[in-house]
Amino acid sequence: MNVHNTHSADASTVEEALAADNHNVVDSEGATALAMQNTLLTPRFYTTDFEELDAINVEPVREDWDHLIAQMKADPNKGHFKKNADWDTVDWDGMEPTLKREFIDFLISSCTAEFSGCVLYKEMKRRGSNKDVTELFQLMARDEARHAGFINDALREAGIAVNLGFLTQKKKYTYFRPKFIYYATYLSEKIGYARYITIFRHLEKHPEKRFHPIFKWFEEWCNDEFSHGEAFALLMKTDPELTETWQNKLWIKFFLTAVFGTMYVRDHQRPAFHDALGVDVDWYGQEVFRKTSDLSAQIFPMMLDIDHPKWLPTLKRLQKANADLAVAEKKTGLARMLGKASGTTRAAAAFVTLFMIPVVKSTPPENVRMEPSY
Amino acid sequence: MGFFTRTTETAPCTVEISHKFESLHAHVKFNNGAVIFPGDEVQVQGPEIMAPYGEIVSEDRIATITRASGLERLWTRMTGDLEFMELCEFSFSEEAMS
Repeated sequence: MNVHNTHSADASTVEEALAADNHNVVDSEGATALAMQNTLLTPRFYTTDFEELDAINVEPVREDWDHLIAQMKADPNKGHFKKNADWDTVDWDGMEPTLKREFIDFLISSCTAEFSGCVLYKEMKRRGSNKDVTELFQLMARDEARHAGFINDALREAGIAVNLGFLTQKKKYTYFRPKFIYYATYLSEKIGYARYITIFRHLEKHPEKRFHPIFKWFEEWCNDEFSHGEAFALLMKTDPELTETWQNKLWIKFFLTAVFGTMYVRDHQRPAFHDALGVDVDWYGQEVFRKTSDLSAQIFPMMLDIDHPKWLPTLKRLQKANADLAVAEKKTGLARMLGKASGTTRAAAAFVTLFMIPVVKSTPPENVRMEPSY
Repeated sequence: MGFFTRTTETAPCTVEISHKFESLHAHVKFNNGAVIFPGDEVQVQGPEIMAPYGEIVSEDRIATITRASGLERLWTRMTGDLEFMELCEFSFSEEAMS
């Protein structure tokens, strides 16, 4: 183990962490105790049916598969996630407090998501024995760990120390069916790409709104997300059942609705962040949904009808119900109980309404592979 | 593993934590081939392991594995899927700082 700590992130014990120099810095710059105490990363741990994963046969898509893996192995983004002259000095002290809070929240949750992805992919790599599959997961774990490291560095500049001490806490392994991993991670990679590229293109046009240099890295960053999504599209292509049976079509619709709905709700929790970027959250949501729908038509036999007259009004109801729920959580007694019941019921009703909107059917192309083009 | 009872076992493991700019990761590897099933809990024994910034720390430790009961395993298999949203950056979970 190591000593010589000047930063709590580097401490080997809690005592050292508390004595570390950076605590004074953090206090004086007003990053709250709240921010410090919650920087323990808490990724989730998953397990799945590894025999089913091992049974995957990529032969039907061999040519595309080998091409994609070779591209990932060549690692075009190696060295990209380093600070260079483009990394301007960040005026954390001068940043408006609400914006700062929301932006740090954005960075911490992004870091946690990258980290959880890394843990999941690494677990699949370690437990699997199918060479094609384990090779892919190893490459993706590499990218996610790299992204997490990059965000971590940005957080350190803000005086936020990420704590990786979670391993010595008790952690429970939850279960994912392999096909749910494909649907969820495929969508999360593709929507991640759409989110990053939409912000990047917006800031290209409005550079004055770029309040932090990390946004300059979004273009290459999202290309990693794009390739990961491609890999999952190919995996799904190896088994037509995954996208063709009526049960699985319902699952796909469910995942699309859940992912889009969640994004809408979460983005509305960060109004100052989007204001600072000069982005209207509703416009941003629709733009990202449109790109994600167009992309996911490469493998999914449907698109959600995001132009349906009920779509946006219902999303707004979902968001309001969630906001009310958050308020009720802070109350006590009967007010809390009633508030939570009302919020939950309305959120569920809104979700069902979204889910019942008929889809736009589409026919995935014979050749699944795409290149980033936005 | 019983249907209603939990059992506990220990396994030697290697913990690797990387706190480098190039890679932020943390992994536990069981050295006796122990396999984790749905609903099991794992805790690495001993004090918190911290990697100083810029370094990779690897330590051999003992992990306690609490095996889920058959019922819990079944339950986790049935319900675990619903937690998939946490994989998304914009997950339903509470704000990171709240």
